[in-house]
Amino acid sequence: MYGWAGQRLRVDLTTGEITKEPLSYEYRRKWIGGRGFNSEVMYNEVPANMDPFDPRARVCFGTGPMSGTAAPSTGRVTVTCKSPLTGGFGDSNMGGHWGAEVKYAGYDQIIIQGRAKHPVYLWIDDDKVEIRDARHLWGKFPRDADPMIKQELGDEDIHIMMIGPAGENMVRFACAFNDVWRAAGRTGTGAVIGSKNLKAIATRGSGTVKIADPKKMMDVCNRLRQAFKTDPMKIGLNMFGSLCLINVANRDGWFPWNNFQFGSHPLANNVSGESHAETVLKHREGCFACPIACGRFTEIRDGKYAGETFGGPEYEHAVPTGPRCGIVEDPNDVWHNCRLTNDYGLDAIECGGAISSAMEWFQRGLITTKDTGGLELTFGNADATEKLIHQIGQRKGFGAILAEGADRAADKLGLPKEAHYYTITTRGMTLPGDDPRGLGFGYGLSFAVGTRGGCDHLRSLCCLELSGALYPGLNTKLLGDESANKPVTTNGKSYMVYYEENQKATTDCLNVCCFTTHWSYAVLTPDQVEYLNAVTGLDFTEEEFQEVGERVVNLERAYWNKHMSGAREDTVPERFLKEPMPENGVDYQTNIGATLPLNEMLPQYYKYRDWDSKTGFPTERKLKQLGLENVAKDLAPLRSKYLSEAEKKNVKYYV
Amino acid sequence: MSEQKKLIYNNEICTGCRSCVVGCSLYHDGECGKVVSRVAIVRNEQHGESYVVGCDGCTDAPCAAVCPTGACAMDPVAGITKVDANKCIGCKECANACPFGAINMHYKTGKAFKCDLCEGRDEGPVCADWCVSGAISYETPTIAMKGKRREKLNERLKAAKVGEEG
Repeated sequence: MYGWAGQRLRVDLTTGEITKEPLSYEYRRKWIGGRGFNSEVMYNEVPANMDPFDPRARVCFGTGPMSGTAAPSTGRVTVTCKSPLTGGFGDSNMGGHWGAEVKYAGYDQIIIQGRAKHPVYLWIDDDKVEIRDARHLWGKFPRDADPMIKQELGDEDIHIMMIGPAGENMVRFACAFNDVWRAAGRTGTGAVIGSKNLKAIATRGSGTVKIADPKKMMDVCNRLRQAFKTDPMKIGLNMFGSLCLINVANRDGWFPWNNFQFGSHPLANNVSGESHAETVLKHREGCFACPIACGRFTEIRDGKYAGETFGGPEYEHAVPTGPRCGIVEDPNDVWHNCRLTNDYGLDAIECGGAISSAMEWFQRGLITTKDTGGLELTFGNADATEKLIHQIGQRKGFGAILAEGADRAADKLGLPKEAHYYTITTRGMTLPGDDPRGLGFGYGLSFAVGTRGGCDHLRSLCCLELSGALYPGLNTKLLGDESANKPVTTNGKSYMVYYEENQKATTDCLNVCCFTTHWSYAVLTPDQVEYLNAVTGLDFTEEEFQEVGERVVNLERAYWNKHMSGAREDTVPERFLKEPMPENGVDYQTNIGATLPLNEMLPQYYKYRDWDSKTGFPTERKLKQLGLENVAKDLAPLRSKYLSEAEKKNVKYYV
Repeated sequence: MSEQKKLIYNNEICTGCRSCVVGCSLYHDGECGKVVSRVAIVRNEQHGESYVVGCDGCTDAPCAAVCPTGACAMDPVAGITKVDANKCIGCKECANACPFGAINMHYKTGKAFKCDLCEGRDEGPVCADWCVSGAISYETPTIAMKGKRREKLNERLKAAKVGEEG
């Protein structure tokens, strides 16, 4: 078989049963792989009302037909589960080399279900699969456990997916890692893996991916790799990592200073990619087959944290437990917090979101030191932030409450409704460090409708409005409107989000990195269709390619609908709708006074999607058109139910 | 006659991305995988270190010296040893003798395979062509050394200047 391995691995940790299931041609063609396979399994095997920590719940790891091939950036893995943070659909995507290794071992997908009696890890040695004792690894940081497993198995070249102590402690926003530092950060996948008593999946793959048309594939890859050599976004990402965004964010007013109270700060450059490269960058890191290599390896060289090393940071890794918590003066505090969230295996975004929400509650007098166990939670208090990260990772003290996520924490503390205003979440998940009042109105729309909660800078990743201006003519070509490349406008944004969401979903099905297709636009849909066909020997068209993405988006949307989440919940945190962007001492900030005009974009977006504007559910017509007849049947009785509950207050999280 | 080019590895800047590996395997075997690549990346994830291991194009090549059948022999035009699969008996002597571990046995044929500088590829070896960091370059050693000499000198001069000012 070309491209795909053609089978998936299912491991039941309760019974110890290990099965390999063939994947039919029709199934592969309908869902392609990665996110598509995973979402299909989630929808059909994990009922809407199930507790995410129920042993019967699934966690899926999906690779795609491109994984392990020579196309640009093919090491990604999609990790999917029912999110313990939001209670709804959850998935997250990680780079590194493990995805390719899984493919070389001969699997397109791994499904884990059940719960082991004691901590275990999985050892996949090509076709041999073994469940091994992991009691001695429990409680260890990934950077310590990774070499222990390698030594135990006698092969230092294997690749390992792993969770940290936060996942073991079922912190609701714990994440999964591979290659020690590459995180599938969002939606709490690590907690679900931890709930199954699974510490790691060690993998050795000694197979290859067969290519249907090697000559064609070589031609496409040659062309794309040449294009990357001069691509403007690639150069910035390679030089400074995703931290190259810091100075841009500060200029355009979306630097989330003090929990999004401001959009800029005069000292932002302290934590910029430029400063990072000059002061603490040890090494540049590349995920599998990547022509960009935006990964960093950091070594703190002075101050009280001198000598600490870690993989990262990314923009979204550094900003939440740094500037969002008001920390920017000493960048070493920021880098150190990045190392801590790595060690514990925490989603840095959600962790920073929970801490900065608590800081704002503290600022507004909603909580005091009596609630926080004595911690003075003022913005910029680096010591308190550091202590809280430890507490969250260990589920101790005030951290045990924040480990539930900001919205659940507010309810546990019995805070008034007002507290939810400051959690900056939609559908139970906090936003990344991107203020839509400056980053772009398309992003704002995307935050409202994204199919994995409120984060969703990676749902549409509509960089056509961010880096689009670096590619003259591109917005005209794709959207028919060049002015869409300006962030703070609604021009063309509804279609942009619709288009980019579909495109991104298929890209996740292939499991190639979206930085090659959305940040940098060196690889466009026709290129992707070309390499997909060269690898698989099939005859995908651009229309079919987009349609697979649309199918996946609609399936995930329907999963939310089954939780009574629809149009009413399609919103962004009120701060962005109500509070005009204030000044903050940065005279070149461009978006002062802006709010997000969400309602100007939403109706049009529903039209493009063919979603019912009252419920926000996909119409029966659309579902049938996408071959989702069973979904249409599932949603039929729920439509009127949703409307009859229209007066019900916004639910902040589900199950 | 101009000097022959060689593959030159600079581990200090390797990002470990394995673009070289997938390119090599696709070009030579028409499939993608580490096991059929002539170049390998050794990674040490915990410390963020990556190393390229490939044929260094030895002048007195140990692989050719130990080959009992003459299958592995220096190609004087290319300036690198090549394995003639028809003569190779799969004894692994060359793989053992290589000081770098740059020779492997092919999973399909059981015979030795190694770097051939992508013979016939107009753009030169694919590993160097696709390398994002410049950790693999394809150039003549003399010119490479000239560059290195100047780079190291500049580093020393800069350090001395900082010392004076400091």
